[in-house]
Amino acid sequence: MQTAFTLLIFPGLGFIVLCAWLFDWLDRRIIARFQGRVGPPWYQPVADFIKLLAKEDILSTGINPALSTALPVLSLASVLTVSLYIPVARTAPVSFEGDLIVVLFLLSIPALAYFLAGWISGGVYGILGANRSLLQYFSYEVPFLMALSGPAILGNSWRIAQIAQQQVGTTWNLALQPLGFILAVVGLIGKLKRDPLDIPKAKSEVVGGSLTEYSGRKLALWHLAMDMQTVLGIFLLINLFLGGTSASPLWGGLGFVLKALGIVLLLSTASVLYARLRIDQLANLGWRVLAPLALMQLAATIWMGG
Amino acid sequence: MTHSLETILEALQATFPALSLDTRAMLTDETVISVPGDVLTEVVGELIESFDFYHLTTITGLDTGEGLVLLYHFWNIHGLTLYVALPYTEARVPTLTELIPGVAMYEREIHEMLGVDFTGLETSAPFLLPDDWDDTLPLRKQAVESEDEV
Amino acid sequence: MKSDKMIIPIGPQHPLLKEPIAFTLTVEGERVMEAGMRMGYVHRGIERLAQERSYVQTIHLVERVCGICSHVHATTYCQGVEALLGLEIPPRAQYLRALLCELERIHSHLLWLGVLGKNLGLDTIFMYAWRDREIVLDIMEDLSGGRVSHAINVIGGVRSDVDEAHCDEILRQLDLLTEPLARLVGLVEHERTLKARTQNVGHLSLEQIRRYCVVGPVARASGLDVDLRRDMPKAPYTDLSFKVITHTAGDVWARTLVRMQEAVESVRLCREILAQLPDGPISVKAKRRVPPGEVVSRAEAPRGELIYYIRSDGSEKPARLKIRTPTLTTLITLPEQLREVNMADVPAVLSGVDLCIACADR
Repeated sequence: MQTAFTLLIFPGLGFIVLCAWLFDWLDRRIIARFQGRVGPPWYQPVADFIKLLAKEDILSTGINPALSTALPVLSLASVLTVSLYIPVARTAPVSFEGDLIVVLFLLSIPALAYFLAGWISGGVYGILGANRSLLQYFSYEVPFLMALSGPAILGNSWRIAQIAQQQVGTTWNLALQPLGFILAVVGLIGKLKRDPLDIPKAKSEVVGGSLTEYSGRKLALWHLAMDMQTVLGIFLLINLFLGGTSASPLWGGLGFVLKALGIVLLLSTASVLYARLRIDQLANLGWRVLAPLALMQLAATIWMGG
Repeated sequence: MTHSLETILEALQATFPALSLDTRAMLTDETVISVPGDVLTEVVGELIESFDFYHLTTITGLDTGEGLVLLYHFWNIHGLTLYVALPYTEARVPTLTELIPGVAMYEREIHEMLGVDFTGLETSAPFLLPDDWDDTLPLRKQAVESEDEV
Repeated sequence: MKSDKMIIPIGPQHPLLKEPIAFTLTVEGERVMEAGMRMGYVHRGIERLAQERSYVQTIHLVERVCGICSHVHATTYCQGVEALLGLEIPPRAQYLRALLCELERIHSHLLWLGVLGKNLGLDTIFMYAWRDREIVLDIMEDLSGGRVSHAINVIGGVRSDVDEAHCDEILRQLDLLTEPLARLVGLVEHERTLKARTQNVGHLSLEQIRRYCVVGPVARASGLDVDLRRDMPKAPYTDLSFKVITHTAGDVWARTLVRMQEAVESVRLCREILAQLPDGPISVKAKRRVPPGEVVSRAEAPRGELIYYIRSDGSEKPARLKIRTPTLTTLITLPEQLREVNMADVPAVLSGVDLCIACADR
């Protein structure tokens, strides 16, 4: 009974889905306010989801229907599995030494599924979007992984819950590894394909990217998977850099909420400020700027910890 | 760099002595010279080389009822229009795309709407008219008169 | 990755395009090898339709060639017909026509900046530019009754006047516009990601501009110092002082700068027009039957040189109306600009030339 509650309600499926919609609404609202607009009402993400569920599911000829359905389900499943390992209320449902590595591995499955989705779509926009998403993956993933390894090396543990606990009461990893945090945020923007790194799904260039041919329920699942990935990415960053949830339930919970809001604000601000990068500019940035910086941070961490 | 129109007209008459380049004025600031179709390329070449009259605003094609007329509107502080008259039976003139690459669109439109042949111009694809258009030339007089009054 | 050729259609429907036009890009990897173009999706046969309408009805017909530059089309047409009729329109009407022309220029450039921002993924510029554009639209609505479609021209002048209070109101609203416009110009000059996406993209040399007979901000951004408001002096521009903005870089960023600085100049011009507005009637009576003759009428539309050729055979309907819009001159450079360009630069190139397909197709 307790397990079912954890898996389905809190902090499992129900909680993550609600957070996904909440964060999406916050994001759109913040961006709108920056741009001098009002922004959508709180129920907009829910309405969008329900609308997509009700739409016709068009399957173009030549697309393998089983594969086309399997990919968003695979994305969703891997993201949901990640939610088991990330502590929200001080403990994660499943926690063991090395679960950070499992999480990082699972978080790269949606990127690969996104690539495959475009590849099998058979349309030019899908193939272009798929190629770009893979190129983008290679540009941000290495600095991202290196940045996220920093807290693990510093805390001498590869267990997310433990890394989070170690920061409670002492300094946050954010203060010890500021560069790592910035690189992790940039990597997260790339992973979530948000502006200014929404190159694979740039509307003015590749129409819809990999998901051009998707519609109806499957598209709803894709969007849900991506929104949930946003939430879990933010939670991961909070646990690794911002001290997780502290001891007392009230202040701990409030602190967690504030930290989440802070990162959402950071991500939304980045969306508003910059034009979309070109894929070659991103590759340049990733390998000539981010990766060396991540290496420097990693070297500094190892030297500090040793 | 701008030469007065008088200088240009004198020089043109000197270069092409055999032709009578009738000049007249047109509103609002145009000088019109009649040019026969076969020396069009040379005259335009001369205008560009010697007088920097490179800017061709557009080519107007007309059906006067007695024949076709092409008006090449040039501009360099003042307007200079070349008036080329073509009979219905010999509606052909050399293309100017070698001298002025920008002319291709104007020529294609006239070819499509009036049926003038520009020798040397690539005209296989339709320009403004739809792919399934029949052979009617929309700006010819017959096309106008054969339709009901609006 | 294997580099095999793909044919990518941009249009007739594409998020990048506001109006239907079809580009067929042959792409290898991320580079465009070749570009083909097909126009005519919005061809309405306006030149042909004009032959079946009276001169007065044709004013409203030519206003519908384009939504953004409708006033300058009507103005150029009316100027041509007035020349055929031998009419001298009152100075107050000339000033009012010019006022709306300049307002339309500001409107067109602000709209274009928003479209450029949206296509480059910088939605914020889109939202800011279109919000500031609302001020201009309010001014135009107060002047003519319509935000984009004005119908203020009649043959012989304009149909609606402004009084002292209205002039003050327009000046007050122009003051509201000054600071946002300056902010947008500053954004274009300094924002790094915008510059990274638009500098050295879609370069056209002065030589290419001359060979293709390109006009407007695209030509001025490559160094061609031509502006019909100054070079073909007609009232009221003979009494007004303004700068012609040119740039030498010839890329999309230079075009953006030229357009934005032109918008700032136009605000100044509007103030000057209102300050010098002469008294008098706003129109003269015009005959319905136009004597036989031909006229070539040119004007500087927001996108460049606009030409109208009107031929009259003495009846109540024009015998021939020929329009050449400035967008046509920039469209012909596109296949060349798109060659050897990154797929990601295609939005910048296509936005940089300020396409107005309805103008081009007529």
